[in-house]
Amino acid sequence: MTDAIQPSDATASASAEGREARIDGRRLRSERTRRLIIEAYIALVRETGQMPTAAQIAERAGYSVRSIFERFPDLTALRVAVTDYAIAEARANAALRDLDADRLTRIESQVNQRGGGCERWLPLWRVLSTDLSGAPDLQQRIGMIRQLVVMRMEMMFRPELASVSDAERKKIMLALESLVDFESWARMRQLWGLSFEEACAVWVKAIDRLLPQTPA
Amino acid sequence: MSVSTPATIVDGRRLRSERTRQLIIEAYLSLLRNSKQVPTSAQIAERAGYSVRSVFERFPDLISLRIAATDYAFAQGTASAQPRDLHGDRATRIRSQVETRAHTCEAWLPMWRALNANQGDSEELKSRVRLARELIFRRLELMYQPELSTLDEPMRRYTLIALEALTDFESWGRMRENFGLSIEEARAVWMQTIDRLLPPTPAA
Repeated sequence: MTDAIQPSDATASASAEGREARIDGRRLRSERTRRLIIEAYIALVRETGQMPTAAQIAERAGYSVRSIFERFPDLTALRVAVTDYAIAEARANAALRDLDADRLTRIESQVNQRGGGCERWLPLWRVLSTDLSGAPDLQQRIGMIRQLVVMRMEMMFRPELASVSDAERKKIMLALESLVDFESWARMRQLWGLSFEEACAVWVKAIDRLLPQTPA
Repeated sequence: MSVSTPATIVDGRRLRSERTRQLIIEAYLSLLRNSKQVPTSAQIAERAGYSVRSVFERFPDLISLRIAATDYAFAQGTASAQPRDLHGDRATRIRSQVETRAHTCEAWLPMWRALNANQGDSEELKSRVRLARELIFRRLELMYQPELSTLDEPMRRYTLIALEALTDFESWGRMRENFGLSIEEARAVWMQTIDRLLPPTPAA
């Protein structure tokens, strides 16, 4: 007996490869369908500001309602997947910049990034963070988004925050978090009628006043 | 011997109807305080001790009930939030304003959340949300008039907008619910924050 591949082995191997390729193809298609459903959900929320129905999502994505529920056991599971997608996209577009710059540059950089994020994600934030009862996975993710915002500010304003006690730092962070909340941005833009630049200016001035002095 | 005239019968009926209406509104508010869910008509009726039909005899739909409850809450909130210490020194005015605002947030946060969640259903609810925010804005303007008068526009307006954001209902809700701060601790955060945000007080 040799190590040479016999015809029957070759056939078996080719057919196994074919099976794998088919499975891979199927998996890829399924992943693509899943992504298109998530994107349809996000597009609908951006257009209407409302939580979409399964029928609306299916129509927008170009699939059947059944296709949705084959991939997501219920609409809450879809909301969770949409949140994960949004977190990943927001993180990819929010690289830390100007970390070692002077105080004003860091404040402006942080405010521009956060303002842009609020502008882009506000409708989705509202839909996802409304009625979290009975959705612990979603609650956990909403908490995580808030933590990410706080962690980012802690990094951006590390020199100033390092100069005060823990208790003091906690108070400042609570104030900063309230200031740069999604709804704070929404009020500036929608209720008080500020432009993007004016809204950024409000935050820049307020953060500058709230932060302790920058150490020499 | 008492004599029941048509007028006293009508008055008695009107009073009972007003009382029922009031109890329904209070039941709605009490359910909101105890649960994060917007109450159903059946829950409201049960809590008030009336039938669902009684609820809808007084309010054509649940939006009308929400509007009535909002008006009732505004009246109550305004009555218990009269401006005090308007001519006090900076620290006294900050303390006074924070105490009043904290009391309002503590008492009306669930109502505020329900109002915001449902404002898309009705222009009337939307207008009440706007009115509430304008009142908060005007109160801040009134309390910190000496400091704000030292700023030119648009800085004056920017400072007011930042103050409003920092003392928002949800800012209070997060301090109390997410971060577990006591009322005193949460007030201390607001007092320090306002003090930092305001420009120096001009000399008298």
